[in-house]
Amino acid sequence: MQKGFDQLTYYEMLDIRPDAAPFEVRHAYNAALSMYQPGALASYSFFSEEERQEILSLIETAYRTLISDQARREYDEELIRRGELDVRPEAPPPPKKTAPCFDISRAPVVKAVFNPLPDYRDRIRQSELIGGILAKGELRGADLKQIRTELGVAVEQIAKETKIRRDHLLNMEEDRIARLPATVFLKGFVKSYLKCLCVEPVEELSARYMKTVSSRSPS
Amino acid sequence: MAHLWPIGGGKGGSGKSFLTSSLGRLSAELGKKTLVIDLDLGSANLHTLVGVPYPQKGLSDFIRKKISRLEDAVVETPQANLFLISGAHDNFDIANLPYEQKIKTLRAITKLKYERILLDLGAGTSFNTLDFFLISQNGIFITTPEPTSVENVYRLIRAIYFRRIRYCFNASQFKALESETDRQFGNGAMNKPIYMMKMIAKTDVEKYRQLQEEFGAYRFKLVINQVRKHDNTALGLQMSRMMERHLGLHVEFAGNVAYDDHVHDAICQQVCFLERYSYTKTAGDLREVGKQVVHATGRQLMLHYM
Repeated sequence: MQKGFDQLTYYEMLDIRPDAAPFEVRHAYNAALSMYQPGALASYSFFSEEERQEILSLIETAYRTLISDQARREYDEELIRRGELDVRPEAPPPPKKTAPCFDISRAPVVKAVFNPLPDYRDRIRQSELIGGILAKGELRGADLKQIRTELGVAVEQIAKETKIRRDHLLNMEEDRIARLPATVFLKGFVKSYLKCLCVEPVEELSARYMKTVSSRSPS
Repeated sequence: MAHLWPIGGGKGGSGKSFLTSSLGRLSAELGKKTLVIDLDLGSANLHTLVGVPYPQKGLSDFIRKKISRLEDAVVETPQANLFLISGAHDNFDIANLPYEQKIKTLRAITKLKYERILLDLGAGTSFNTLDFFLISQNGIFITTPEPTSVENVYRLIRAIYFRRIRYCFNASQFKALESETDRQFGNGAMNKPIYMMKMIAKTDVEKYRQLQEEFGAYRFKLVINQVRKHDNTALGLQMSRMMERHLGLHVEFAGNVAYDDHVHDAICQQVCFLERYSYTKTAGDLREVGKQVVHATGRQLMLHYM
């Protein structure tokens, strides 16, 4: 036979570990009451009236001791002195800091920083190549690309300035007719493109480009 | 060697025979050669539940020496792999089985060649019931979630505990032990196993150690039967904790079996409940309990005290 109930430690009585938190103590106390109180089915006829009273009062004492910080510390010390509790409970761990809900990386995203585009009007006037392109009767995507490279501007720079997607710009420059956006959008895109590079006159050039595109499209 | 599972419960009507027949059937369905024995001497019912309303032979034939070997008292049931030793149509004094007859029967049971043997025991705490229960280290206690039934199952468990202690001593030794316990721990202490064991620990350390080992090796199971919707489902766990803590007996809670009126219907119609109503909660619960019994392959010591 193992130890009698009255020889158990309070922790064993309530069936909890010595480092149980107060809410666990309370929970264990309720569980013990539901087993041992007079109307409980699980202990029906198991004890005589006196035995039950004795057990209930022990459980009550155990609960009162363990739920109070001061009394519990004293009881722990007593147990350690008796050698029944070998590990002295460590100091509580430092309070936890709030943790972010989402694991979002806060490191700054490395992005190329572009300066606002300067005024290219003078350079366009001086450039013979651009003058030649503008003098032609049609304006292809390839011509746009030539103007851009002549001015030394990256596609990304234009995309940032005009807020047009890079793949649209590339499709326009490479003359991938089938992949171009609908005409309405395309018209706006070309105008923004030309404006951004300060190529003038915008209206006329965009109309020329649209004409070139529509003449080359299959339909 | 067969796995023997006595099924007892103290109170009548808690479902011992029904559980025996259901577990037997579940075990047989899995292809285990299973034998159910009706040891509810004097009020046998198991034959009806396994579908043999008029068994041609039974345990009483063996006891009255009409049949010399217990194997020959076995009858087949409609279920494949399931066999029965019936207690039906026995004479009226069989409930008071003499000691020699009982020992003979116990020995014969342990020699039977089956994979699973389930013993359906009677209500109450007569010596017959206790001895048949102690035949194995396994065993199933069944109770309903009612005070009457809980009281009786505790009583049965204590009685078994005492019976086991009693085996270790002869009559005069035991008498002396009882009176000594009574003297040391106060009046009524001899009815409490804890005090009894304390006394043994003082007087005979060797026996105490042996008994401790013995009680530690028992693998009893507890089934709560006829659980209604509003009943406390934690009762089984609580009871198992009570027994572990205050009796030092390891009684594992095996599960709740839901109450169902269809059980009554099936018994009245004399059909198999598990077959007719196989999709009820009760049937599911029974299968859960059955798993633990059918798949048990624990150590099996038998008749260690004889």
